[in-house]
Amino acid sequence: MTIDWIFANIGRISELTASHIFLTLVPTLLGLIVALPLGWWAHRRRGAYPVIVGAAGLLYTIPSLALFVLLPQVLGTKILDPLNVVVALTVYTVALLVRVVADGLSSVPIETVQAATAMGYRGWQRLWLVELPVAVPVIASGMRVAVVANVSIVTMAALLGIPQLGSLFTQGFQLRLFVPIITGIVLCLVLAVLLDLLLVWLNRALTPWRQKTVTS
Amino acid sequence: MINFDNVSKVYPDGTVAVDGLTLQAPTGKLTILIGPSGCGKTTSMRMINRLIEPSSGVISLDGTDTQSLNRVDLRRRIGYVIQNAGLFPHRTIVDNVAAMPRLLGTPKREARANAMELLERVGLNEKFANRYPWQLSGGQQQRVGVARALATDPPFLLMDEPFSAVDPIVRAQLQEEFLRLQREIGKTIVMVTHDIDEALKLGDQVAVLREGGHLAQVASPAHLLAHPADAFVADFVGTARGYRALGFVTADGTLGVDREPTVRVGDDAATATVGADGWALAVDESNIPQGWVQLGRLNGAQITESDINISGTVAKEFGNLRDMLNSALSSPSGRGVVVDERGVLVGTVSAEAIVAAIRTAKQEVLAS
Repeated sequence: MTIDWIFANIGRISELTASHIFLTLVPTLLGLIVALPLGWWAHRRRGAYPVIVGAAGLLYTIPSLALFVLLPQVLGTKILDPLNVVVALTVYTVALLVRVVADGLSSVPIETVQAATAMGYRGWQRLWLVELPVAVPVIASGMRVAVVANVSIVTMAALLGIPQLGSLFTQGFQLRLFVPIITGIVLCLVLAVLLDLLLVWLNRALTPWRQKTVTS
Repeated sequence: MINFDNVSKVYPDGTVAVDGLTLQAPTGKLTILIGPSGCGKTTSMRMINRLIEPSSGVISLDGTDTQSLNRVDLRRRIGYVIQNAGLFPHRTIVDNVAAMPRLLGTPKREARANAMELLERVGLNEKFANRYPWQLSGGQQQRVGVARALATDPPFLLMDEPFSAVDPIVRAQLQEEFLRLQREIGKTIVMVTHDIDEALKLGDQVAVLREGGHLAQVASPAHLLAHPADAFVADFVGTARGYRALGFVTADGTLGVDREPTVRVGDDAATATVGADGWALAVDESNIPQGWVQLGRLNGAQITESDINISGTVAKEFGNLRDMLNSALSSPSGRGVVVDERGVLVGTVSAEAIVAAIRTAKQEVLAS
């Protein structure tokens, strides 16, 4: 019972990793797409902010296993359908990002927004060309939290038998083998770090205009 | 022309921000709105491009009721300059200026070329064009703000305390440059300020508003100083109004300018020509005044830079009497220094001669 196990199962481990990446990234992106209009709405309406952000926060408190089990009833999917995982993680991402998007839009300097309005930007032009680009740093930092959380939550889907790196935990537990469990943990960590770095890089690439912080 | 016809703004809670304002901002002129905080000056200006909607009354641009236009179309006809510039932090300086033309479909290359021209016009070095706003000083950002407002060449310009967030030296410089620019472009401008000196310096006409959004008086700066409509306006233009009014009286040929003996750095003190009071005016090779030297109190046998007293100001030959009097009052010799357009010495003038000229000017005003 050694490292040989990894080489013997390298094909399967790769498949599980690919599936894990898919199940993490797709809901993160979908979550952002859903959170953008909701966050914009919460930012726009003073009264809506506590309601929307509060409701979104509440979603995050639903236990993931419960959501995986309940969603097939709601969506009419089979329990083994990966769609359940995608939808569940999208819900969590939305829960995290609604507040982030709202706060990101609020971080845009008021004079900048006012100038755009006064110059004759239409509402959506102002949002696309001014407010969202300036909100990128705040939104990107929220995305980093969401993507790392998702890498970890995806593993829960192993309990339903949906293959991804979490499957290595259940397998190791059933076969009383440590190597699959350790392999799964290490790969999850590496994945989380890589996706986090990807977002850091993406943020830098999208915001060449940011003030370079001078450490004094 | 921007025309306010009985315009009011009342908020739902009953607060009256502007009360029955009737006012014309003439074409090609700079109209200042000024008053204490809460007088509705900013609200009045923002109703022009409908950032705030009037409750009643009509605002028209060259005869067109602003309510008959789509808000976005209306705003695109009006340039807007705000305090702190409000630049887009994520765009370079040149792209900030080109933003609106780009939005309206001007090709990128053309929009940028025009933006570069505008930046030069507002006195910003082209090396700043590809920097981001945070890399510029407040004064530089404000120049970009002005360039951006002019990018689509709108006939109207609204300016919301445009020069108030920079230090006094930069402010004076921006004001001078803006006046020069306005002489070239002749926009119809409404500017809000709380600085009476700025109002008197820049305005072709000044509208003084009082709390509750009432128009107290609208007049040219000189008229406002000489004939305030009531105690509020008199108080607002300040107790220094007599002195400020001199800024609108031009020195004519009757003011006696005396020849002044001059010295240069390096001159021997013993051979230098000197006035009866011991003060001599130091000039450089181009005859541009450098300051006053007291020959009896030199540090050495020769005149050096450190001997020059630079407390005195200079006044332009055909400038206003306020600058003349200021030069005389600030000069250690008591004689005001008069220069021509290039800054070359013309001569000096005594405070007595200036006061006499002021008296003559007053009598002419009273006689007319």
